[in-house]
Amino acid sequence: MIFDEIYRRFPALLVARRNLVRTRMRSALAMLGIVIGVVAIASLGMFGTTLQHSATSSLGNIGNEVIVSPAYDSGLTTIDKRDVRTLERAAGDAAVVPLRQRRSMVVYGRNRLSVTTYGMSNPGSTFQARSGRIPTPLRNGVLVGAQLADKLDLGPGNTVELDGQPYRVKAVLARQTGFNPVNTNSAVVIPESAFNGTGYDQVIVTASSGAAANRSAMAIKDALNGRTKRVSVTELASITDQIGQFFDILNLFLLGIGSISLVVAGVSILNVMLMSAIERRQEIGVLRAVGYRKRNVLGIMLSEAALLGVVGSVAGVAVSLLVGLVINQVALGSPLDALQPENLFYLGVAFAFGVVTSVVSGLYPAWKSANERPVDALRN
Amino acid sequence: MAVLEIEDVVKRYETGSETVVALKGVDFGIERGEFVSIMGPSGSGKSTLLNILGLLDVPTEGTVRLDGEDVTDLDDRERTLARKETIGFIFQNFYLIPTLTALENVEVPRLFERDPTTGDRARDLLSRVGLADRVDHRPSELSGGQKQRVAIARSLVNEPRVLLADEPTGNLDRKTGRQILEEFTRISETGVAVVAVTHDEVVNEYVDRTVELVDGVISP
Repeated sequence: MIFDEIYRRFPALLVARRNLVRTRMRSALAMLGIVIGVVAIASLGMFGTTLQHSATSSLGNIGNEVIVSPAYDSGLTTIDKRDVRTLERAAGDAAVVPLRQRRSMVVYGRNRLSVTTYGMSNPGSTFQARSGRIPTPLRNGVLVGAQLADKLDLGPGNTVELDGQPYRVKAVLARQTGFNPVNTNSAVVIPESAFNGTGYDQVIVTASSGAAANRSAMAIKDALNGRTKRVSVTELASITDQIGQFFDILNLFLLGIGSISLVVAGVSILNVMLMSAIERRQEIGVLRAVGYRKRNVLGIMLSEAALLGVVGSVAGVAVSLLVGLVINQVALGSPLDALQPENLFYLGVAFAFGVVTSVVSGLYPAWKSANERPVDALRN
Repeated sequence: MAVLEIEDVVKRYETGSETVVALKGVDFGIERGEFVSIMGPSGSGKSTLLNILGLLDVPTEGTVRLDGEDVTDLDDRERTLARKETIGFIFQNFYLIPTLTALENVEVPRLFERDPTTGDRARDLLSRVGLADRVDHRPSELSGGQKQRVAIARSLVNEPRVLLADEPTGNLDRKTGRQILEEFTRISETGVAVVAVTHDEVVNEYVDRTVELVDGVISP
């Protein structure tokens, strides 16, 4: 048996286990304290992660995006082609999508709808198609947002009328989730050349990361806003950073609350161990008399505390996992999201806290037992 | 040469403002294979003497010698080791660990030795004291005499040269007490020195020598 082998190697564990079983109810209650503490820490931690996850997923990846608009306060209403070229050079690797925007009337069959129309020469660099194919570059035809396509029952190959002009539908765009500066769900995208006039209403720069977006934003400002301010640059990363910071603080706060319950559990272990040390005073005196060293006694008592901690923490982690599955099922609709690395980290932290709290609580009673003189312990 | 010997031992206790002198210059020694009883009324200093002989306590004055070697001033660790190697204890209240079986109780003193022969030796000792059929019983399932026999087996598991017994028959009926004393005689015949502190007169029928302790002084 594996247990026999463990007990042969760590004899203190055998005595410790028997001692805990001797006062079954008391040990169980002390362990329950640890279970509650571990569950509090782990499930509050996981709850925080779930909140953060659900919030950031609805924000999408806007942190990687920079929005460049004309500097209205300098009297500019569009960004001209020369500025866009300068901007493309400044943005480096980031994808640059200049766009025009207007309201249009869409007619298909008997339906008439007012929609936002975007003009882009290369929408394929930022958008994906749900059906059909996005031509690169877009020279003719129209791309239809997912929601609009569903509403009008449109598909690739149909022809719609846009502000009196017929357009053939090339593709239906994939549904966008979360917050997005260019929301195509109920919009249409047509070639830039189909717009009258020159200049763009907006340029969207998409970088590979928040930091890269920040670098692009700085470079764009340097390149375009030298003598006069020609564009205003909005970085969305600062918003996501702040939201991230808020969640970090919230998580710490939740963990703090969880830790309090673990401290209470520690006190109850301290109490249990002290009672057991007092009850077994003579027994420990006998052990010392027959040649047990102080550290042997210390080992037995600390094993008891550690055993309470490990068993309590294992049970606590198991319960926390269940709680995590339920939280994620309710909040995100996907219970397996509970198994992300951050949550495993919280489970690990809670487990470690549970064991450490127990052992630390056992230190004083163990020290007290080990240091009592056997003569005093054996006196009737 | 005496296995265990004390010379001119004085033990004083400070209790508040008062000083109690429990032992007032005691000389005592025991040879291999000797069975000696220390008699005396309660408060005569018997337990103190036994504690000092058992290296559980240190004298205020005087010398304790083990195999001729001065062990009076050993530190706690060295004394613990000396106890383990030389001395076996038997207590009036048996002091068995209630959660462990008879066999495990006998093994307890050697639990941290990682000695694979301990189990067999404990079994041998238990059959020697007539408990071969009780090895897996818990103390609560044993009678007083059986418990004391488990305690004797436990005291022998470290192969001591001196066995110290504090009122070994105190909690036993007459008949069981005699069986235990016969056991002690057999043990002393194997070369172990046995010291029994008691006020039970029956013990004296079995011992080689009796020492009287009155008010902290040995009266020959």
